[in-house]
Amino acid sequence: MLLSLDWLKEFVKLPNSLAPQDLAARLTYHTVEVEKIINQGDKYRSVVVGKIQKIDKHPNADRLQVAQVSIGKEVLQIVCGAPNIEAGQLVPVALPGAILPASPAGGPNGAEIKEAEVRGVKSSGMLCAPDELGLGDDHSGILILKSNAKVGEPLAKHLGLHEVILEVDNKSLSNRPDLWGHEGIARELAAIFNVKFTPFVPKKPVGLKNAAMKIEVKVEAPELCPRYMAVAMTGVKVAPSPDWLKRRLSAVGMRPINNIVDITNYVMLELGQPLHAFDQKMIQEIVVRRARTGETIETLDGEKRKLTADTLVIADKHKPVAIAGVMGGASSEIGDETADIIFEAANFNYRSIRQTSTRLGLRTESSVRFEKGLDPNLAERALARAVELAVKLCPEARLASGITDLRTAASKPKQIILDLNWLERFLGAGLKPTKVEEILLNLGFTVKARENALAVTVPSWRATRDIESEVDLAEEVARIHGYDNIQGSLPQITIAPPVLDTGVSMEKTIKNNLSGAAALTEVHNYSFVGEEQLKKIFIDSSGHLRLLNPLASQHGLLRQSLVPGLLENIKTNQPRYDDIGIFEIGSVFLAAEGELARSNTGGKLPYQEKRLAIALAAGGRRDLLREVKGILENVLQLFSMAAEWRGSEINLGWTDPHGSAELWVLGKLLGTVNIMSAKAAKNCGIKKSAAIGEINLTLCATLAANQPPPAFAEYEKFPPVIRDLSFVVNEKISYSDIRREIAGFDPLIRSVELFDVYQGGKLGEKNRSLAFRIVYQADRTLVSAEADELQQRLVKRLEEKFGAKVRDF
Amino acid sequence: MKDNLQKLKQDILQKLSEVKDGSALRNLEIKTLGRKGELTEMLRKINTLGLEEKKIVGKLANDIKLELAGKFRAAAEVLEGERKNEFIDLTLPGEKTKRGHLHPVTILENELSELFSSLGFSVLSGPELESDYYNFEALNIPADHPARDMQDTFYVARTGAELTRADADGADSNLLLRTHTSPMQVRAMEKYGAPLRVIIPGRCFRSEATDARHEHTFYQLEGLMVDKNISFTDLKGVLEAVVRRLYGAETKLRMRPKFYPFVEPGANFEATCFLCQGRGCRVCKNSGWLEIGGSGMVHPKVLAAGRIDPKAYQGFAFGFGLTRLAMLKYGINDIRLFNSGDLRFLEQF
Repeated sequence: MLLSLDWLKEFVKLPNSLAPQDLAARLTYHTVEVEKIINQGDKYRSVVVGKIQKIDKHPNADRLQVAQVSIGKEVLQIVCGAPNIEAGQLVPVALPGAILPASPAGGPNGAEIKEAEVRGVKSSGMLCAPDELGLGDDHSGILILKSNAKVGEPLAKHLGLHEVILEVDNKSLSNRPDLWGHEGIARELAAIFNVKFTPFVPKKPVGLKNAAMKIEVKVEAPELCPRYMAVAMTGVKVAPSPDWLKRRLSAVGMRPINNIVDITNYVMLELGQPLHAFDQKMIQEIVVRRARTGETIETLDGEKRKLTADTLVIADKHKPVAIAGVMGGASSEIGDETADIIFEAANFNYRSIRQTSTRLGLRTESSVRFEKGLDPNLAERALARAVELAVKLCPEARLASGITDLRTAASKPKQIILDLNWLERFLGAGLKPTKVEEILLNLGFTVKARENALAVTVPSWRATRDIESEVDLAEEVARIHGYDNIQGSLPQITIAPPVLDTGVSMEKTIKNNLSGAAALTEVHNYSFVGEEQLKKIFIDSSGHLRLLNPLASQHGLLRQSLVPGLLENIKTNQPRYDDIGIFEIGSVFLAAEGELARSNTGGKLPYQEKRLAIALAAGGRRDLLREVKGILENVLQLFSMAAEWRGSEINLGWTDPHGSAELWVLGKLLGTVNIMSAKAAKNCGIKKSAAIGEINLTLCATLAANQPPPAFAEYEKFPPVIRDLSFVVNEKISYSDIRREIAGFDPLIRSVELFDVYQGGKLGEKNRSLAFRIVYQADRTLVSAEADELQQRLVKRLEEKFGAKVRDF
Repeated sequence: MKDNLQKLKQDILQKLSEVKDGSALRNLEIKTLGRKGELTEMLRKINTLGLEEKKIVGKLANDIKLELAGKFRAAAEVLEGERKNEFIDLTLPGEKTKRGHLHPVTILENELSELFSSLGFSVLSGPELESDYYNFEALNIPADHPARDMQDTFYVARTGAELTRADADGADSNLLLRTHTSPMQVRAMEKYGAPLRVIIPGRCFRSEATDARHEHTFYQLEGLMVDKNISFTDLKGVLEAVVRRLYGAETKLRMRPKFYPFVEPGANFEATCFLCQGRGCRVCKNSGWLEIGGSGMVHPKVLAAGRIDPKAYQGFAFGFGLTRLAMLKYGINDIRLFNSGDLRFLEQF
């Protein structure tokens, strides 16, 4: 919202010495954020008053003329297409370098004016039409200035455009219906500077009792329209507004249209109450009702809009003439011929206005105000102000009807008891009761002192949905006093043992381990995946949760695995890196019911779990699958857990059919480790081999929570006997079966560790060699003969059971 | 005796000058200065002298012993030096050992978690796929509240038969991706009650088109403290501690009113720009201040939604963008890099 400093000053006496920057800062630090200070003169920088000395026809174009224009110190040659220029006229000249304000009717919006050649004739600037200067929408000819304009003088100075405009962030006003007009902001300034505030006090317009015109109003949906006021005026002459009004509206970004429409806009910008003016001839009876199914309306912007039963409309006998609080209809628009008008000042239900405006995708100056919840009393003041201005602008205008005022029962003023002891406990700011009272009074509250408390009555303009309880009053006091004037302190509390989220601390431990010992790099990928992306890696997307409003189709689904993201990462990085080692910890989302509550009335959120995924990619012949396993084994060991690997039948789509292993921990399936299939790699454009492991961290944290810490084992008192054993077996016989056999063979076998796997060479088809290091240990000194004898028996067993053949080295 | 000592000394020095390697040096040292060495033997004889002489000779002997020991040390150093006389380029860099990298957001998260843990806050995590209730309703942002404009929301469609039962409440879709970490305020209060001191770092989503400065996926850190006597000044004190940890002890904090429906009073907070120390620069757009986040006293309705009695307890909450802080800290000029997975970016941290 744009605020004119001059306009504000009509309501509040601000110190003369106050610089606009300081004013903006104070407003920002006490009330709402001022985003920009606009010096209006800057808008017309390099636009000056010029005098046309001579006009010639353009030698090469019938519709163009060549003007010699004096700007005082020099005479410029300017090519101009407008028909209305004559020698001797005073006109606005945009000099090269000028940047014209954006205009709604076209023209060189925001573009820089440059020296140019127009059809072979040099042109050093531009003569401007009103719309090109943002002074209305007239584009029929050049703006001819009054004879008192001084040649060479800046246009802004001539037009009296020296105002300072503050731009306020609309979002910072979303809870303050009372700040959507100059009067409301002025009230804040008065409280901030502790100076006098002079609100607009209406002279109550006297409605005619036996008026010629009667306004028949029926409010059929009072729940959506707490108050409806209207009055008819006659003798109106629709014309352009006087300069002061146009200037003021333009200054705060509102396009002047005609005096009646301008009045409604002026009152809205001044007091914050949107008004509507109807052509009285076009509307015989006013019905405020819900739209009927199938009804349509052509709004002022020329759009035909479909209405629903939730839409509140202003209708005549037959059809809607306005969408209440959002936009008027074209049929009852004020036109040049209009002589009799109806001013409407109403109060609409904020929820309904917001729903309608959201549904129609139509946000207007009116709807943004109504949706905040306006004060019903404001309608009365605004209507009086509109009548007052109409009479001022059209001396012939007079009231032609009684004043219609239909309202649901006014609510009683809200009173809040502000406990001053509580206030001190809550703010800790050490504010004196007199200061508290002064602030509240300045903001328009009524205050009665009680013992250690104030009985505070909320003014109607703050009572709709803004100020509800003592915490709201605390904010009023704190912010006007100034957050900067409150000293910070540290809380004094009784310490309590902290609650522990095991998942969070586990994540941190794992991240440190992976980025440290495992030398992997942490990546973050989007939580979204796309159908195409999944299709390439043979993942079925049908079971994925879908965004209703995705930004792009490749981000339409919620991920169910971290793998698609990591495959993308491999592809991104492969041109520059031979070896890639990355990991991600993140959430996945499943279309099944989870454990977390959805609301206080029941229901569950979809199931979500934290995952850890590790991806290795390399060009060479590394055993990536086992490397990923090793990294995961180390991770598990951090939490005293051991891995058990099993071959997997699960088909994840993107994996090599013989390249998936399941990770089992404490009897639970924790995740899988997989080799990327050649097909998937080709589809994704990945030129390296890759292995990815993905585990359920949520489950991992649950399992780890019950794990005892590693128990210290005393050193063996007697020396062990260590023997290596290498043998050839059929490749189908799994390591884990063989290992189980060895480890369980005899109690003297203390540890069994695989140290080499070899395939190929002379071993023969379908065979491989496994090499184990076996540690024999007893609670006495073991002689090597004993171990040798044991190992011979072991070899025999392996031969019998697995057909293993011992290799000779 | 004196002469003998001097003679022995000269003798030893002569032999020392002829020594060519370390083992010869060690042998000579043992032979002369060792426990049964020549000099040691001679020193033992001093005891047999008269008192006066013993004093003089004793001192001489001791001096000689120290002198010789020094010469042996020097000789040893020379010999060692000879052994390593090949040239070493001492300016060579260290051998590269493999290392990994944490994501910059994680680094910042760790830094802040540590600070808050030391202040007695617990670190929690919460669901990224949330409900309308926790993301908005429970935070005093009812449907059709204009405050919903402040947050462009990704809504999630219902799929799968499993969910239909839970969705019988008739709402069109009340599933969404959380737009802030604040829903965890209510979840934490429900789960743990009061008093409570928690922070919740986590991923959030806003439905806005991405460019160098905007990202639909980003990280926030939420803080919540609820106790019997927690005041606005305490909020300010804790925030001061945070910005000082982030940007140094001289950093100043500035707060201004800002509307967030779930706090009252609500405040925005800024810190003096760490790059220019408040003098004004490109990063702080010449204001001298950097906007850090939002904060305020927990709204009684939010406490009530978390089943905490607002009459007995009060508290404060705050939140800020971790992604944004990481951008400021490392001078990252394109927010999209965070989720790019590009190792050229990630390996810089």
